[in-house]
Amino acid sequence: MNSLLLATGAAVGAVFRYILGLIFMNKFPSPPFPVAMLTVNLIGSFGLGAFYGIAYHGFPTDAYQDTLYLAVGLGFFGAFTTFSTFSMETIQLYQAKKWGSLTTYVSLSIIGSVLLFSAALWLFN
Amino acid sequence: MFEQYSKNIAAIAVGAALGALGRYGINLFVDSSFPLGTVIENLTGSLVLGFLTAFFLVKIPKEWLKAGLGVGLCGGFTTMSTFAADTVMLLTDSLLKATLYICISSFGGVLLALGGYTIGNRIAASMVEVESK
Repeated sequence: MNSLLLATGAAVGAVFRYILGLIFMNKFPSPPFPVAMLTVNLIGSFGLGAFYGIAYHGFPTDAYQDTLYLAVGLGFFGAFTTFSTFSMETIQLYQAKKWGSLTTYVSLSIIGSVLLFSAALWLFN
Repeated sequence: MFEQYSKNIAAIAVGAALGALGRYGINLFVDSSFPLGTVIENLTGSLVLGFLTAFFLVKIPKEWLKAGLGVGLCGGFTTMSTFAADTVMLLTDSLLKATLYICISSFGGVLLALGGYTIGNRIAASMVEVESK
């Protein structure tokens, strides 16, 4: 049952990411840097922080036995956000020698995700 | 509006479900105080996506297959939100560990994506060469 809910959460999260990506591509066909996945990763990190704050008032304990954590935290927000696309988009900026965009993209993704997660955890705690 | 994408969406859902189950399995298996599981997932996922991106540039697949493996499987297997949560968790413990975690994840992920891309490019090119003979 836990695995099924986890799989469902992840499927929904990834499809959301895909659809948001399509909408972004439609609105901003040639952005200066990969703004779609940056936005998705920032929203998702904020969302996970909010979820931790509301459901656990902090970090969940015994998370892997917790059905809600598996479905929403590991499944939905885990699959909604992505690290592999972040790595690949960084490589594409590197290959295009867009050093400014690369630095902005990497810093905003990493520092932004951590800050937004903390902010949401604090706000919703 | 999204009808033309229905096949992609189905493939992404299946891929992400499998990817997340794989992530869960690794996390259960690699149970340590340092979030080693997430490191393994984000690094291997980046390697595989790099490989697929280069490979599919030469050997062009069906759109749904590309979406299912890239957006679904690799996307669902790797995660930025858990990376952010892990970093904040580590920061409450030790600044050194948190810094180490950020560096391994970001530099490692990008380097492995580049490695995967290079390998994918070579393999696809050699396959095209064999086919043309």
